[in-house]
Amino acid sequence: MKLYQVRKGQFVYYNNELHKVYGVKPMYKLSVHLIKLRDLTQHITNAASVEKYKPKENDSFIFNHKAYTLKKERNAEAGDYILIHNPMPDSLDTYTLNEIELVETADKKGVITGNSHGVKHNEYLLMVPGRAAGGNPIDYKDKANDEDESLSDIGALSPATSEQLPSLGDIYKKKDDVSIFEAMVVAIKDQTVYLGGGLEITQEELMNSEKWEFLYNLLDK
Amino acid sequence: MDSNKNMGNSVFIISLLLTLIFIVWGVFFTDNLAKVTDIIYNGSIDYLGWVYLGATLFFVIFSIYLLFSKYGDIRLGKKTDRPDFNTASWLAMLFGAGMGIGIVYWSVAEPVTHYTSPPYGEGYTIDAANTAMKYTFFHWGLDPWAIYTVIGLALAFFQYNKRLPAAISSAFHPILGDRIYGPIGKTIDILSIFATVFGIATSLGLGAMQVTAGMHDLFGVPNQLFVQMIVIVVATIIFIISINTGLERGIQYLSNAAMILSFAIMLLILIVGPTLTVIKVFFNTTGLYISDFIHMSLRLKPFGEGEWIASWTLFYWAWWIAWAPFVGMFIARVSKGRTVREFVIGVLVVPTLGTCLWMSIFGGSALELVLNSGNHDLAKKITKDVSLSIFTFFDYLPLSSVLSILGFAVVVIYYITVADTATFVLGMLSEGGTLNPSNKIKMTWGVIQSALAAVLLLAGGLNVLQTASIAAALPFAIILVVMCFSLVKGLKSEVEVQRGNKRSANHS
Repeated sequence: MKLYQVRKGQFVYYNNELHKVYGVKPMYKLSVHLIKLRDLTQHITNAASVEKYKPKENDSFIFNHKAYTLKKERNAEAGDYILIHNPMPDSLDTYTLNEIELVETADKKGVITGNSHGVKHNEYLLMVPGRAAGGNPIDYKDKANDEDESLSDIGALSPATSEQLPSLGDIYKKKDDVSIFEAMVVAIKDQTVYLGGGLEITQEELMNSEKWEFLYNLLDK
Repeated sequence: MDSNKNMGNSVFIISLLLTLIFIVWGVFFTDNLAKVTDIIYNGSIDYLGWVYLGATLFFVIFSIYLLFSKYGDIRLGKKTDRPDFNTASWLAMLFGAGMGIGIVYWSVAEPVTHYTSPPYGEGYTIDAANTAMKYTFFHWGLDPWAIYTVIGLALAFFQYNKRLPAAISSAFHPILGDRIYGPIGKTIDILSIFATVFGIATSLGLGAMQVTAGMHDLFGVPNQLFVQMIVIVVATIIFIISINTGLERGIQYLSNAAMILSFAIMLLILIVGPTLTVIKVFFNTTGLYISDFIHMSLRLKPFGEGEWIASWTLFYWAWWIAWAPFVGMFIARVSKGRTVREFVIGVLVVPTLGTCLWMSIFGGSALELVLNSGNHDLAKKITKDVSLSIFTFFDYLPLSSVLSILGFAVVVIYYITVADTATFVLGMLSEGGTLNPSNKIKMTWGVIQSALAAVLLLAGGLNVLQTASIAAALPFAIILVVMCFSLVKGLKSEVEVQRGNKRSANHS
């Protein structure tokens, strides 16, 4: 049955692929605003074209070009991604259902995310990088298409190489205590990335998170 | 992590002990408490009233400076952060948090009381009515919102841009450095908790009085201290249940409902009340407020009794300052992603206009009823029992029963939401700025703040509430002034970092 009670935050299938609802504008014909989890692209549709899915433990999916499996086995630690599947926000918190947030600090009571939310341990599922053996891939609604080339390719990549690759307009900051250096990706040729200011660097070096930090993409602003 | 934890615990324990001592004192030595707070009150008014006046005027000037300064473009949070809420709901939330229960309590009572006993001149005259509205605008206008702007901006900036814990002491990082984690930081946090508990207890005390008054008006329940105590106990049980069952999300819906109901009441009164008079009052009083702002801000009575100033202006300034950590924390939470300029316009300018409009509608209508419609007994009734004022006022309007029910609902919802959010803020403040305060600590503060409200009511009602909040807020007023300098230092370094970024990118 098609879902008509669409709510912000729900995971839904649209065009057979997993999306997250990030907004509902009931007055419009195309009322449901979606974000595709695989590549974070935005789409707009109506309630009749989507079908709800409730994520649970051991489900795996690709989020922002990288595969993750949902686990409950341990509490999240700093640097982990979490999926808030059981939100019980305090009166001053602003998070909602199925938000994916990066953990900044963790203690016995819960975690504090990069978005300054306090999330208790029973409110989230941990997103463990990679696809766990015996996991349930939920990227597609119609599992017959499971053998989709792109999906198995990305799913098989190791976490280090499945990082999002640099693209034009990305702003990177050099992790350097001595001076501050930020630059934008202005051209890419094979494995060489050209940064503003005439700096040439290999893709591999730029992806090294100990030396360079991705800040944002100019086109996302 | 461990040192943070210990720090959190000691802050919690010391502030809890201080508050408990106060409660024990109030329960077992009620007369003595009333006497001592009276001495402190008189002392702080006679000798230190000017501190409140000077500090509050300084916050207004400082906020306006921030609006036009080069720091206006700094975004609260990362460069890519965008606001969590659209501007309309953001403004509605700020308005609700900043004023809440007080605006319902005082919007009729204050103008009418000033009309009968004005700060200067003869009572019951047209001049007294104009002065009454002018002082109501003054007490609820730029000054309280400037206090909230300063503390809210400082908390948001240091929490989101400097990634420091959500504690008041974090706002002093540019001055104290890592000493914010030591005894000085702890003292600041303890003082802020102490002031907050009193600010909240004052509001809860007023709320309990008004809920009881509403029950008296609607259901004929006696308007007595005993019933006020029962209201406090029932409310405490309700929000303790909500903390333990994770119903806090429901509280957010309630809070939105209170906002919508408040606007509905305001519009209804504008339509069924004297609309033209309200519009005239709004324009006339805005003019008077702007032209006399400096005089009102610095007005003291060096050669006479300053009782009026003490029981109104200084009480308000103290109450806003005591209430500030709570509101500031709330405003900071909902303002991530806004720029400093947007923040100041949103927290200082827009709510001031909104409050003045609200006061014109309620106060203007009430004064019109008293002055021109020959309802002189209304003024007497209102000044006789202030907590009943809004319901007495509704009785003189068409659709009075609908208005009374809506008004009662708003008061009850504000009471519960304030109590609930306050426990979260106190939990955060007393656990070293963690965003995950434990339920135990939240419940402890829930019980404590209710007990304090009860004790203050038992000790002597509104007078002791006023006295206690003035005493508790005084040290925090000084802290807020220092916070302004710390904030400028922090903002300055942020501008330098951004400039440095650009320069180094250009050079390479």
